[in-house]
Amino acid sequence: MSHPPKQLMADSPVKVNNPGGAPEPATPEDQKKMETAYNQMKRKMSISEMGKAIKHKIMVLSGKGGVGKSTVATGLALSLAQQGLKVGLLDIDITGPNVPKMMGLDGRRLNVDAGRIHPAEGHLGVKVISMAFLLEDEDTPVVWRGPIKLGAIQQFIGDVEWGDLDYLIIDFPPGTSDEPLTVAQNLPDIDGMVIVTTPQDVALLDSRKSITFSKSLKVDVIGVIENMSGYTIHGKAPAGTEIELAAPGGKTIKTTTNENGDWSGTLDIFKAGGGEKTAKEFGVPFLGKLPFDPGFVRGGDDGVHRIVSEPEGPSAIAFAEIVAHIQNIVESAPTTGKLEII
Amino acid sequence: MDIPELIRLERRDVDIHLTWSDGTEHEVTYDDLRYACPCAKCGPQRNSDESSLILRNNVEKLPREIPTVRPVGHYALSFEWANGCSSGIHRFERIWRLGQKQDPDNGNAYVHGVW
Repeated sequence: MSHPPKQLMADSPVKVNNPGGAPEPATPEDQKKMETAYNQMKRKMSISEMGKAIKHKIMVLSGKGGVGKSTVATGLALSLAQQGLKVGLLDIDITGPNVPKMMGLDGRRLNVDAGRIHPAEGHLGVKVISMAFLLEDEDTPVVWRGPIKLGAIQQFIGDVEWGDLDYLIIDFPPGTSDEPLTVAQNLPDIDGMVIVTTPQDVALLDSRKSITFSKSLKVDVIGVIENMSGYTIHGKAPAGTEIELAAPGGKTIKTTTNENGDWSGTLDIFKAGGGEKTAKEFGVPFLGKLPFDPGFVRGGDDGVHRIVSEPEGPSAIAFAEIVAHIQNIVESAPTTGKLEII
Repeated sequence: MDIPELIRLERRDVDIHLTWSDGTEHEVTYDDLRYACPCAKCGPQRNSDESSLILRNNVEKLPREIPTVRPVGHYALSFEWANGCSSGIHRFERIWRLGQKQDPDNGNAYVHGVW
């Protein structure tokens, strides 16, 4: 009794034997196809395993560039690590990867072993993966079209040996394009997105798009963080002196020195309250404000994040409050029913 | 568009049976699913009556098979076939419209780049 040849996948490089004929050897092209198909299958299996090994995955987005998203993403990772949690930080910004510099990992190269990419370890044991690790020279631009970016992102998701993590923080380039779309499509069980903005209208316009983007992908918006929210300056004068500061927007800030002769005043350089107002308008949580801290600038350049250089300073405290809010939301979120496919 | 959550998808010989969180049930044939593929290659073929007919004929000539179904993020499903196109990412809203026997394109011509 003859059996019909088994139906193979349309793009299978395996050829069906002709009855009575010798098996045809695979050509180099066929071998390459088989290797690619095998690697893709391995990657898919690895990606599905990530759901079990990594408890929480958080995407950090901003509609607009220059709002401090990478600084915030790095700060969230470090703040979580300060609690003793196992944290990973994935820098998906292929064209402008800044995270390694902030984590003191400048010049580091990726360690690849048996097809698996091993992350570098930065401050407080945070595991880091970034495109920057692939660049021979920091002045080398990455000029890739969409499909190549897609492949690189899928490799960063599926081929990295993260191990068991409590949190994976994913930093993106600004906007709502290939990178966050690819991650949302490929990474299973994302807890949600954190949107970073600064208080002014121009930044808010773009962050609103990020919130809508998140909702259309059916990824929860964990909340909005308002960065560069007020610049506090300090000074000294005789006790009881009344100080007047000329603030932006024609405002005057009045304060009085305390008994030690210290005074402080907060200037709303980028206006105030926009992040909270936008969060309320879209019905998403407002996670908190981060102060405008010149220490972030120096820390970013020196490779020592503010949280590491001043673990009990006002910025570290602000981050800790935001992280506590995020943890509360993420760890108490109901488990949504999985789609049953049979 | 607010729709219930898809909670169960059963792959049968010639169609999928869908169960939604509000109790609604749908059947969508594989031919209808393949004809409605939203990818950049199939989508434009539905922009005219003539090419739509060709697309439909081509779909109906494909060998009968049961696809692999994979979630795409939280917002869509992909259907992988051994023959024919497997590129489409079907948003749940689209699958709902198919189940309701409505035009999944909502009367709109395909626009390249709109996902």
